[in-house]
Amino acid sequence: MAPLADVFPSAEFRDDLAGRGGATAARCYQCATCSSVCQLAPDDGPFPRRQMLKAQWGLGDQLVNDPAVWLCHQCNDCTVRCPRDAKPGDVMQTVRSLVVEKLATPAFMGRLVAKAGSTWPLLLGAPFLFWVLVLYAVTGLQVPAEMKEYKDVVPHWLIYAVFFPVAGLVTLAIFPSGLRFWNLLGSSGRRSGSFVPNLVPVLIEISTHKRFGSCDAAASRRWGHFALLWGFVGAAVTSGLLLLAIYVLKSEMPLPLLHPFKVLGNLSAVLLVVGGAILLYNRLVGGDRTGSSTAFDNFFLFVVILVIATGVLTEVGRFQFQPALNTWIYILHLTVVLCLFATFPYSKFAHMVYRMLAMVHERMTRPV
Amino acid sequence: MNVSSPQPLLVVGAGIAGITAALEAAEAGKEAVLVEREQAVGGRVLRSHQYFPKLCPPSCGMEINVRRLEKNPRIRVLTGAQVAKADRSANGWSVAIAVSPRFVNERCTVCGDCSKVCPAKVPDPFNLGMNEVPAIRLPHPDAWPRRFVLDRSACPSGCKACVDACTYDAIDLNAAGREETIEASAVVLATGWSPYPIEKLPELGGGRFQDVVANVNFERLASPSGPTGGKILRPSDGTPPKKIAFVQCAGSRDVNHLPYCSAVCCLASLKQATYVKEQIPDAEVTMYYIDRRAPGRNEDVLTKVAATEGVKLVKGKVGKIEECAGGLKLRLEDVEAGRILDAFADLVVLATGMVSSLKGEKPPFGVGMDDDGFGLDNPGASLFIAGVARRPEDVAASVRDATGAAAKALVAARRSA
Repeated sequence: MAPLADVFPSAEFRDDLAGRGGATAARCYQCATCSSVCQLAPDDGPFPRRQMLKAQWGLGDQLVNDPAVWLCHQCNDCTVRCPRDAKPGDVMQTVRSLVVEKLATPAFMGRLVAKAGSTWPLLLGAPFLFWVLVLYAVTGLQVPAEMKEYKDVVPHWLIYAVFFPVAGLVTLAIFPSGLRFWNLLGSSGRRSGSFVPNLVPVLIEISTHKRFGSCDAAASRRWGHFALLWGFVGAAVTSGLLLLAIYVLKSEMPLPLLHPFKVLGNLSAVLLVVGGAILLYNRLVGGDRTGSSTAFDNFFLFVVILVIATGVLTEVGRFQFQPALNTWIYILHLTVVLCLFATFPYSKFAHMVYRMLAMVHERMTRPV
Repeated sequence: MNVSSPQPLLVVGAGIAGITAALEAAEAGKEAVLVEREQAVGGRVLRSHQYFPKLCPPSCGMEINVRRLEKNPRIRVLTGAQVAKADRSANGWSVAIAVSPRFVNERCTVCGDCSKVCPAKVPDPFNLGMNEVPAIRLPHPDAWPRRFVLDRSACPSGCKACVDACTYDAIDLNAAGREETIEASAVVLATGWSPYPIEKLPELGGGRFQDVVANVNFERLASPSGPTGGKILRPSDGTPPKKIAFVQCAGSRDVNHLPYCSAVCCLASLKQATYVKEQIPDAEVTMYYIDRRAPGRNEDVLTKVAATEGVKLVKGKVGKIEECAGGLKLRLEDVEAGRILDAFADLVVLATGMVSSLKGEKPPFGVGMDDDGFGLDNPGASLFIAGVARRPEDVAASVRDATGAAAKALVAARRSA
């Protein structure tokens, strides 16, 4: 038996959790079926039975530093088998959204995105207004009838001039949150070894989505998520390569269809469309296997789908150019991409950082 | 006691609850008709090896009940009989009973000559189909009425070997069924329960692995009148098991299966652990549970069995059972240790719950039920439920329950007279 320790139940945390989609935790009677059917839980630190208990008691301080919360990939094998319909998969997801909010820097951004169910007009409206204003200032928002290319309205330099600083700010925002999380994790278990040598195998594992492959109930999510991840990576790399093409190689824009950079970009788009479609389909018809949707999940998925949809439409627009329509689609695209970037540390997107850190922590605490 | 209605009380089901209800009413002076679907009385209690908390065989208690039945002139027992139709009448119920043909008459002396020559084999219903018996046989050693029964549907065409062998002229292959209508002043339904089918628990190996058995089948394995003559043996290879696991709440307290607690499975498993330790003293018995439910005096059984050497109780529901190296691997979280266990067993007993016999049926009496299919008394219609058809309970509680049902029925019968 472990020595007795004080616990600090918080009714506020418990109610907060319940209000956001974790109310089913109250049904749990601690049978531990969930832990026994979880394919991802390590033998010496099974979840989510323990986390369900912490959720019931409102032990927020013990959930925020618990790596298991992030090692969970919400396969929902637990939810499908739960004899009480307590939906551990949903509860874990809700706990994650609370952790993202609690660790957010600045805190008000965390609250804003956490309440996306009501704040979404602001979250999407602000970047839209931003683009309209910027474009008005730079180009007077003139859409010439003879306009041939997007760059006639939105010059390339402007895109980089906006997104580079935004990316920088976002990094600046996620860094202290990640650091805080890393230190909190450290209080939950003794780590050995150093960060980078443990990060490499974790990145390799993420790149193949090996853990997702162990899920039974939501097996198709592995490939949806996998395609989305690599689609985003491809899109990011393409953006970097385009910078090279425009400013170093001075290539003629737009690049021809068979140009390697273009091929990579289009391949990424296909991955994004396929991944987005699989995840959206799961969300719509998945039932228990997908879990319930909260505003936190839906907002992120909605923005991702919009990014993909407007991105594809923007490219399609090149072949049948209708200056006014295409310009607005493009502005919409820039809007949602900016929204995705700006909310990264506070939306479900942040799981990229938190889960990665939790996986590194797990490796470093594993008994040798 | 002034019991004024001349019409009898009808009790449906001659398990421990039905027998008790009929006896109590009859011994209080009421005429009673006891109707049983099977050819012999006793129901599920007789299919137990022993019952808790005293751990005595059910035959001794049943013997007393049979003597009371035989002695009491106010009770008529109809076996092989089922309710075909039931209508409300001015003074109670008008109930049509279909009595199936009885191919063996009262001249039968239970000599067994017919069984020896019978060429047809059928799965033994008394042993839950775990072995085969001749189509003509004594249903079980404690059968009452004490008479052979014949499963006529199993007879090869034209065969009359048993008729030729019988020296008492006790077999009539052309016997016909009959129907009779009973005008009852009140009705007690004591139709009991069926075990939750383990085939619905494939993740626990139910219906997939031979050495994963239901608790009711394990009773038969331990019983001298069971398929192994009372030897606890693994169904797969007939060897005595060394590591036995009891999986509690298998399909119980589970919204995907039976949402309620069947109230007896914890005690049943503890009891069965004593069978194992008695026969195979060095066997390791582990009971995996969510909660150890042993209310009232039954707690003494829990305390005693839990203290037995070689018996372990582990908190954690088994989530998955797979075959592994000639045995079975059980996956669970040992909640107290906070670790995942892959426990090995060579025989697994699934402690499955009880399903009300009324559930899902459109019963002829139009009985009301709770959400789980357990019957609700309807005093206005002089209709009462006793035993597990009313709620999951153990033998002792069923008996008390049946006594209460008899009392309520007597009151209703007097009112309707």
